[in-house]
Amino acid sequence: MYDLVIKGGRVVDGTGAPAFAADVAVKDGRIAAIGEALGEAKAVVDAGGRVVAPGFIDPHTHFDVQLLWDGAAKPALEHGITAVVPGNCSLSLAPLKAVDRKTLVGMFQQIEEMPPEAFTEAFEWTWEDFAGYRRALEQNLAINVAPLVGHSVIRLWVMGADANQRAARAEEVAAMQDLLRECLKAGAVGLSTSFVDVDEHARPVPSRFADFAELDALAAVLGEFGRMLQIVPEFYDTDITIARIDQLAELSLRHGIPTTFSPVFDSRFAPHAAPRQLARVEEQFERGARVWPQMQTRPIDISFSLLRPSLFFARLPAWMRTLRQPLAERLAALRDPATVERLLTDAGPDGGDALFGSLVARGGDGCPPEFAGETLAEIATRRCETPAQALISLSLEHGLDVAFIAASRGHDATDRIGPMLASPHVHIGASDGGAHISSFATYGDTGYLFSEFVRRSGAMTLEEAVKKITSETAEIWRLKDRGALKQGFAADIVVFDPDSIDRGEEHPVFDMPGDGMRYVRGSIGVDTVVVNGKIAWAKGAYTDAKAGEICGLA
Amino acid sequence: MTAPLRQVEVDAAEAIIERAEIAAGHDGTAELALAIRYENGVAGHVTIDADTGFSIMRALGAADLNGLIGRSWREVSKGL
Repeated sequence: MYDLVIKGGRVVDGTGAPAFAADVAVKDGRIAAIGEALGEAKAVVDAGGRVVAPGFIDPHTHFDVQLLWDGAAKPALEHGITAVVPGNCSLSLAPLKAVDRKTLVGMFQQIEEMPPEAFTEAFEWTWEDFAGYRRALEQNLAINVAPLVGHSVIRLWVMGADANQRAARAEEVAAMQDLLRECLKAGAVGLSTSFVDVDEHARPVPSRFADFAELDALAAVLGEFGRMLQIVPEFYDTDITIARIDQLAELSLRHGIPTTFSPVFDSRFAPHAAPRQLARVEEQFERGARVWPQMQTRPIDISFSLLRPSLFFARLPAWMRTLRQPLAERLAALRDPATVERLLTDAGPDGGDALFGSLVARGGDGCPPEFAGETLAEIATRRCETPAQALISLSLEHGLDVAFIAASRGHDATDRIGPMLASPHVHIGASDGGAHISSFATYGDTGYLFSEFVRRSGAMTLEEAVKKITSETAEIWRLKDRGALKQGFAADIVVFDPDSIDRGEEHPVFDMPGDGMRYVRGSIGVDTVVVNGKIAWAKGAYTDAKAGEICGLA
Repeated sequence: MTAPLRQVEVDAAEAIIERAEIAAGHDGTAELALAIRYENGVAGHVTIDADTGFSIMRALGAADLNGLIGRSWREVSKGL
């Protein structure tokens, strides 16, 4: 008797093959059979009218800390994601000496916007080495994890306070190699590094002080295991990013390793930027290098409040002048009728409708709940004001702590992005799941892939889209026996409605340690998520299953 | 943002900012996207984070994006 049979669905097996009607049977955490009339099972899931696919894999997340108290990486799992890669951008929670914890927490706070209580109240920090972190993680997992080890923490372990001061000496590089080797043996899926990130004092993170010889030496250790090198290049400058692509290709060829970089964004302002990067990637693949650019599916939003200056107002001189002032002066200016008059004039004769009308009040801050989720045009109408007046008055009434979002202001040209995402050399990822938590929701990119790029634009077929985020990802990262519905593979399965799968609306929740706020998106159209044979999400709710594990590697 | 930006004639004597626009940064902040025309005619683009963008505007005395257009890229580099 099987443990579970998923009956009556259309199987999209993750290989790109056409969907077919079949049942899927699970036993002992593995896929036991795929076919018809498979026999009895202890539990049955009716998948009539639904697609049955391998669980999705998210290759760029920052769930490192969250996984210690929330083993499902909520809400990632309810979107059908059954495996995540944390430890990106040079930061991981191990290896780390106890004395360096405060330093790392500062970096995590900057990059993930995680409240400090997340590190002091939500878990007991018992480990220093990577194996200890792995043991701590394994106690609570509902989702599978393929953790990277961060270059910055490796430097911190070996060099202490000098880690973000200078290049390493030869003996220090050798010590880093030994430490990396130990982490890889303990299950790390690769090494992450960053040429961009900063700590909470805006100082470069330690990995940015490494010279090429150090990176080359660490890549040589990755080569011993065939493991991944992930980098964040200087993505704000296309030419430097292309130079990094060439550098990654050199390391890939020299050491026989896969490499990946993220993010790659499309830009209407610089429309040749992403295509130039991808063209260089193609050239390097032709040479035999493996350099995987990660591109996210979701568009980029701009969010701001009047609490801090924002370049969102950079076209409006009166607003720029007023909002750049220190807080006390800014508040006084916004209460000054003459200043407000200048602001309203600057906003245009339509009362700022074109500029501000589509902004959405986000909630989760000082904004009254009745306005959260409404556009400024709607709020203005209710308050008998213009959008510009409403922006000022609503902010003033709540100490300026009212955040607004300008949706889809970057990476939003579906007709350009679709073909890039569909390219065989583009890796769908870069979600940043678990990061930027108080700025925007980093969840639901997989749902958006299907709603925007399969259903609305037709940039890829359902089967192609599933393949991109399952077997292709598993192969790139060398995750063993995952990413496809095949007999003997891990039973990571998602059952979803292909006609409705999507991401839900962004909304604030207060579920971080210390009552910290974050923005999330729920899933739409995802019925059931199975992790290693156990149902982890069904009927719109999480179960008690804790079947997640550290991914084995091929 | 929809306000029109002014156009400039490109002076081949040195690299200048040819266009300036607000960009959506990957961390959700508004950033500064600049198109630069170098003296040899080649165009380049760079995206600048919010803090640096404010520094540049302050250093150049630019009240808004229009105040950046036509300015010397060398001057901007000094403001970084």
